[in-house]
Amino acid sequence: MTKLTKYIIVWVIALCQTISSAQNCNVFLYQKDTLQYEACLIAEDAYQYYQYSREYQEILDKAIEKCPHFSYAYLNKSTAYLKSGDFITWKYLIDKAVEYNFRENIGYRGWCKFMFFRDYQGAIDDIESLEAVSKGNIGYSAGGHYHLKVAKALCYKQLGDVDKAISIMEQYMLDSANQISVFDHLHLGVMYLETEAYDKAITQLNLQSVQNDLAENQYYLALCHKKMGNDSLFSEHITKAKEMYLRNQKMVFHYTEPIDRVYLEEINQALIGNEKADK
Amino acid sequence: MYKIIIFFFSIIIMTQSCQHLSVPKDSRYLSMVGDIANDPKLDDPNFTLCDEKNTKQYHNLYEEMQYEGEKYALDNIFATQFKPSEEAKDSGMIRIRFIVNCKGETGRFRLMSSGYDYKKKQVDKAITDQLMTITKSLKGWKILSDKKGPKDYYQYLIFKITDGQIKEIMP
Repeated sequence: MTKLTKYIIVWVIALCQTISSAQNCNVFLYQKDTLQYEACLIAEDAYQYYQYSREYQEILDKAIEKCPHFSYAYLNKSTAYLKSGDFITWKYLIDKAVEYNFRENIGYRGWCKFMFFRDYQGAIDDIESLEAVSKGNIGYSAGGHYHLKVAKALCYKQLGDVDKAISIMEQYMLDSANQISVFDHLHLGVMYLETEAYDKAITQLNLQSVQNDLAENQYYLALCHKKMGNDSLFSEHITKAKEMYLRNQKMVFHYTEPIDRVYLEEINQALIGNEKADK
Repeated sequence: MYKIIIFFFSIIIMTQSCQHLSVPKDSRYLSMVGDIANDPKLDDPNFTLCDEKNTKQYHNLYEEMQYEGEKYALDNIFATQFKPSEEAKDSGMIRIRFIVNCKGETGRFRLMSSGYDYKKKQVDKAITDQLMTITKSLKGWKILSDKKGPKDYYQYLIFKITDGQIKEIMP
């Protein structure tokens, strides 16, 4: 491959990534919805601008002027408010997106309520509303790291109903149609740990080790072994947790703090506690 | 030669999406969502930015917020310094947004609050004043850089308050 070809391929990929963030307006044309089609064409101009920018917002406003029920414009306008923590404006805009396209946006709203604003009950309500109208798979979070059922389970856990969370997770894991995601075994393992089902916790955390080993995973394995009185395995896993943390093998999400995230200070404190116990 | 042509072509496209144009007077928007203009009545005159027009968002420069001792340390500061009041049993969400400049200093603090219904609401001042005071006192914000060097960036903290107690801090 010549250097020129390489340059062209890289440039085309970059261009395609920009274009792919936009909606295919022809969908509306096929549906004979000319108003949304025209609004969609207007909205396409926005995607050359940063989503926080005035230009981006103003172009999407024009799309809404053309078609006041064009949910895609509300959805895209809402993103900058979500990421900048403006929950009031975000909620107004995302509610409009949900109002005009419930099926496409209700799960996403629930996910955002959970991840950005720790609104656990609000997230559960949205995800369960989606389940009520969906015949099949309700889908994944923005970013694809979580199935929405797993997000729902985590919300129940955060509200204190760990048993219900476990029940949702177990059912989800049993359904072979579901793809186990990168943190699912970790979260179920921690739920078992919280209910003192240490053997089950260790099984899940070991599965996590195989699939996607993390400092968090090793930390919670250490806690399980500590609870079970196995100090040598505790030391082994907590030491590994620190090593992995320092190598940056840890849970990091864009924008927000993941559930079951562990920090270096917590690992250090566990290590110090063990050293004190040894003396 | 082709490298030069592609380079200039890319620059033209990139500048189309990155430029910070001045805001027309009739626009209802600031240059960027969440921008905080300097207000001499509110803001410390000694707080300055390195490059006002290129202030980033914290997530532009690093995936998660960057504080000395991580979010664990930040949570601990609020857990130890925030004193719930018997009289202030309010609930809601409070966002404090501010700028961390290229030297790691903070300024231009602005507060927004709502009920759990996401509707605008004034949360009890006994709560918001404490949160603002503690947030202004935080000294551990890291200097974040891009390839050109240290940048000014917007950061925010959201507090979930239930019956006057801090339940969660985000992001």
